[in-house]
Amino acid sequence: MKHYLKLVNFELGRFIKVYLVLIAITIISQIAGIIVHSNNFVGRANESMTTMEQFAAQNGTLMMSDFMLTLWFLGPIALCIAALIFYCFLIWYRDWFGKNTFVYRLLMLPTARLNILLAKASAVFLMVLGLVSLQLVLLIAEQALLQTIVPDVLRTDMSIAEMGNRTGFLQVLIPESFTGFLSNYGIGFMMVFILFTAILFERSYRWKGILLGAVYAALAVTVFLLPLIIQLILGMNYLYPMEVFLAMLTLGILVTGTSIWLSHYLLNRKVTV
Amino acid sequence: MIEVKEIKKRFGRKKVLEGVSFDAKKGEITCLIGINGVGKTTVLNAIMNLTPLNSGQILIDGERINKNSYEKITFIPDAVTMLPRMKVADAIQFMRDFYQSWNDERASELLEFFRLNEEDRISDLSKGNAAKVNLLLGLALDVDYLLMDEPFSGIDIFSREQIAEVFTSHLVEDRGVIITTHEINDIEHLIDKVILLDNGNVLKDFRTEVMRAEEGKSVVDVLREVYKK
Repeated sequence: MKHYLKLVNFELGRFIKVYLVLIAITIISQIAGIIVHSNNFVGRANESMTTMEQFAAQNGTLMMSDFMLTLWFLGPIALCIAALIFYCFLIWYRDWFGKNTFVYRLLMLPTARLNILLAKASAVFLMVLGLVSLQLVLLIAEQALLQTIVPDVLRTDMSIAEMGNRTGFLQVLIPESFTGFLSNYGIGFMMVFILFTAILFERSYRWKGILLGAVYAALAVTVFLLPLIIQLILGMNYLYPMEVFLAMLTLGILVTGTSIWLSHYLLNRKVTV
Repeated sequence: MIEVKEIKKRFGRKKVLEGVSFDAKKGEITCLIGINGVGKTTVLNAIMNLTPLNSGQILIDGERINKNSYEKITFIPDAVTMLPRMKVADAIQFMRDFYQSWNDERASELLEFFRLNEEDRISDLSKGNAAKVNLLLGLALDVDYLLMDEPFSGIDIFSREQIAEVFTSHLVEDRGVIITTHEINDIEHLIDKVILLDNGNVLKDFRTEVMRAEEGKSVVDVLREVYKK
């Protein structure tokens, strides 16, 4: 456990500069965006030859959900998602192909090699959670800024849940219920483990491993989606929604467990420096 | 004792090791010799479970390598293994954090012996100093066995002499060492046993003392004899 925590800390430290840059870009872009967007709206209202009430009636009020569809808001989120997906590959390949072959050190540590896998996955997960938490705080701050800039008559205030309902994608990142959180992030975590297993196939069998990894990933995703596939083939009402949920939960755990076991096997028996 | 039993390794269609067997005892320096590409590094990697074998077995004190083995055997590869942005002090801290067998006193002694600066970044080190840091990180562990891959490769004569000096010091005493090197002259007088590899097989396996006493030949003489054929 001590080694696992040290490894998590070490992995986080290796990416912290890039991570802080991502955080800075997100804060700057979204805060600047809400100021520019709100001021533009108020400016248009002021320039119109109508009263503010009439402007609101004609053009609608300004809502956070409007701002959330702009590049100011979506751009940094897309950048963070892309960076973290890239990081999932980088976290392994830099140990082999970085300037120095650090993988020697990692694999010769007097700890279970499974800890290396779990530490890397935990680092990814913590970074995702960190960015999501930041986004939550930013949403509250942005709403407060919007309220400062835009007069009452020109705006409609929203709760975080309403923002989620209006934009859709935010519901995926910040689900309303704990079950939603567990399922969304559970699926994300499962995908990370599937990807890590595919990478370890490649690191173990090189060219053949790319094929093996791709086949494993396709198979794992198919197994996970089996209840939905059955629904599609046999009709949408073949299974009750709760049955679909429980089946996917069971298969998700099975796929994650298999991926961890396979990764552990590859790290112990097949991986090559 | 490290026991290497009938190990076979293929890379694709290329057979690198075709049934290599030998053993290396504590308190002895065993040298793996052979021309480039005969599989010397592969043997060391296999002992450390850094490359899977097609068949054969490797035992360390009678056990297959496991996580606990890394507290009693270490490998000093022919490559810098710490991150470039790390300072020498960070690399030492990393080892201290993970290894119970880390010996701070010995690390300080080695820092002084090699005249290394703890504040230097790994990326700024010369090839010679990088090799010394590698050596320091391995030698400062209280382990029974040391594997060294080409410790003299590409470094200047003064650094080579300094590294060779390590072998005669208490830093290596009582440990089992397996070393691969082309610079045989630097350590010939220190080697206890030679494993000569060729075409994936052990071509010759001899004790230097016996070879000198019985046939009057040095390691270099044997090498010349073998490769002239």
